[in-house]
Amino acid sequence: MTLRGCAVGSRLEVCRVTGGRRHRRRLIELGFVRGAVLSVIGRGTMGGLVLALGDSRIAVDSFTAETLLVKPAHV
Amino acid sequence: MSERPLTRLVLEKPCCDADLPGVDEGHARVALVGNPNVGKSTLFNVLTGARQRVGNWPGKTVSVARGTWRTPAGEMTLIDLPGTYSLLPDSPDEALTRDLLVDRGMDDRPDVVVLTLDCSNLARNLYLLAQVMETGVPIVVALTMVDIAESRGIRVDVGRFAELIGAPVVPVVPRQNRGLDALRDAVEGALAARRPPGEPDLGEDVEAVLAEVTAFLPADALLRYPERWLATALLTGETVPGVPDETGARARAAGAGLLAGDDTDDLDDLDDLEIVVAEQRYAWAHRLIAETVHRKGDVRATVSDRVDRALTSRWAGLPIFFLVMWGVFILTTKIAAPLQTGLQDLIDGPVSTGAAHALRGMSAPAWLSGLVLNGIIAGVGQLLSFVPLMAIMFVLLSVLEDSGYMARAAFVVDRLMRLIGLPGRAFLPLVVGFGCNVPALAGTRILSDRRHRLLTGLLIPFVSCSARLTVYVLVAGVFFGSQAGTVVFAMYVLSIVLVVGMGLLLRGTLFRGMSYEPLVLDLPPYRLPTLRVIGTQTWQKLWAFLRTASGLIVATVTAVWLLASVPAGGGQGGFGRTPIEHSLFGSTARVVAPAFEPAGFGDWHPSAALITGFVAKEAVVSTVAQTYSMGKPADEHRAGSLGPALRQTFERTSHGHKIPAVLAFMVFLLAYTPCMTTVAAQRAELGGRMTLFGIGMQLVVAWLLAVAVFQIGAMFL
Repeated sequence: MTLRGCAVGSRLEVCRVTGGRRHRRRLIELGFVRGAVLSVIGRGTMGGLVLALGDSRIAVDSFTAETLLVKPAHV
Repeated sequence: MSERPLTRLVLEKPCCDADLPGVDEGHARVALVGNPNVGKSTLFNVLTGARQRVGNWPGKTVSVARGTWRTPAGEMTLIDLPGTYSLLPDSPDEALTRDLLVDRGMDDRPDVVVLTLDCSNLARNLYLLAQVMETGVPIVVALTMVDIAESRGIRVDVGRFAELIGAPVVPVVPRQNRGLDALRDAVEGALAARRPPGEPDLGEDVEAVLAEVTAFLPADALLRYPERWLATALLTGETVPGVPDETGARARAAGAGLLAGDDTDDLDDLDDLEIVVAEQRYAWAHRLIAETVHRKGDVRATVSDRVDRALTSRWAGLPIFFLVMWGVFILTTKIAAPLQTGLQDLIDGPVSTGAAHALRGMSAPAWLSGLVLNGIIAGVGQLLSFVPLMAIMFVLLSVLEDSGYMARAAFVVDRLMRLIGLPGRAFLPLVVGFGCNVPALAGTRILSDRRHRLLTGLLIPFVSCSARLTVYVLVAGVFFGSQAGTVVFAMYVLSIVLVVGMGLLLRGTLFRGMSYEPLVLDLPPYRLPTLRVIGTQTWQKLWAFLRTASGLIVATVTAVWLLASVPAGGGQGGFGRTPIEHSLFGSTARVVAPAFEPAGFGDWHPSAALITGFVAKEAVVSTVAQTYSMGKPADEHRAGSLGPALRQTFERTSHGHKIPAVLAFMVFLLAYTPCMTTVAAQRAELGGRMTLFGIGMQLVVAWLLAVAVFQIGAMFL
């Protein structure tokens, strides 16, 4: 599933980053690599999400959320 | 987890640069490299104090601050490179940092890199560290945000850290001057030793491929680039100048096995090699963290998170954002206004009177006192009157940026601004533009992408500033009576329509290549901005503005004075005594006037007003009065005897359609060049060519709109 529909409070594991090479590269630089665990901590206007990835807080728009394939984290 | 060592120390390797040309004998060069928002520039400011200058890197469009770091042992040149998350170049900023670290053909390469790492967010920072270590440049790690990390129960074993990466590590708190001496010692030690750091271990499989690739790297490329960096870059599909494409293809082919060995089918393309290597760098970072970082407890929701829940929320986010923008607008207009008037009065009053007195005392010739009083002093006065406004703007920018709110604001209005192809942050300079375009242009610096800065900088002059308001009020009062308020309001609506319309137009033409950039935004933790940081930043920006703008403004003001003083074609009166109508200024206005005939105001009075309006909109009202040989009306909002005179002029030039003609005049006034100070600020922010383009574009848009308003309006009114 993609991150787009995920509810606030869910903990998820990154499976894959899709999208253009440049876009993928930016996400990977910020730590969105396979196996990384993130949680959705807020929801903004028009489908934007605020994520906690390790110690980082990262805001993404709905387009970016769509490019992040995730599964529920078991931790 | 594997038993492999975390890094391979390469002590025996001689350092790269010692005997290469291009390293001069002067100051040692130390470059600051790090992620954005890790306190890198704060460290730079504290180390260099006032001894710094900001400018484009030679031959690049990347702005870099350079300064002198004085230590008891001598002086070093400190270079503050743009913040970056990686050395993979996606922007000119990142390319510059990468080239300086890896390309031995570059001039002014750093001798030592100080890598600023945010201790409260280590994983991502270590990813950059891994890449910098691969370049083999001697490094010193400065750990920042130690206080924030401690407050979250994060403690770093500095000694172990240094041991594992093979480079010195120094915790610093620049705002409190903590750790700076230790940093200095470490840098001086690194300069003397010139020892490359360790090489991060990327796991058995990747290391095997890297060894294979290293074996066939061309010898000439190895003279130019560090070996390990080159092997990794080629494996991940980067094109490296001076390396044949076949070598790159061969490196990628060697890596194909890494993808085949993957147990999922997620990775199939050779492009994915970049992901494999990135994952290994992150794996290295997490191993390093496991060995050196101790966490007490599990602090999930920090104070920052709780604040964010309100500030970025779906319901409160936008209202709070508009409230903050309103606050910025009020502060840049209401607070600055009295200071601005005060300064202007001081210049017009005591300073001018004093100077006039002194000039008379020296029995200076009329042309000299004219030049000094109406040229230089008036010009400097106009420049100075903008200083409070600019200072307030720069302070607010610093506060918003330093506190961490700017990143949230960008997230909140992102969608809205996308309509005209700009990111959310561009909202702030546009709002400020309603107060004054000059600080608004300075505000474009919050945009990191150069094309976004250019587009915003070209749109700002269409935002109707408060100086234009004084003219609207006067003209609308004369022609529309009780409807004046509605007309003025319509000008503001038109201004917004122009910004959106021109934004769409430019985006579809000149800025066509500007692709949709999805929003991925790091939100730094909220922090209280410190006076020291804000003060230094404000002063630097203000000084840079004064330096670039002063010449242009004084020159233009002087030129207008000169034109108004010189009698045209043997007219009556001598220099400085001729009535304005018969001066060169008057005749210039007459030459320009026919251009406005299709817009219904082809007369020298309005043309003269528009010419001074080019210099400053504040001067328009007094010029109009002057051309009718009347004093400036005591109350700018009441036209007095100016009213009938103006009405008569427009009645005549428009052949009875004075309402559309006066609307056309107001529209032209809205859309053409706001003032000379704006032009100077545009030149400082966008460069000369774009500024000229902007002036041309505005004149064309203003003229076309004015003609359209009159021609269409004349059919009905």
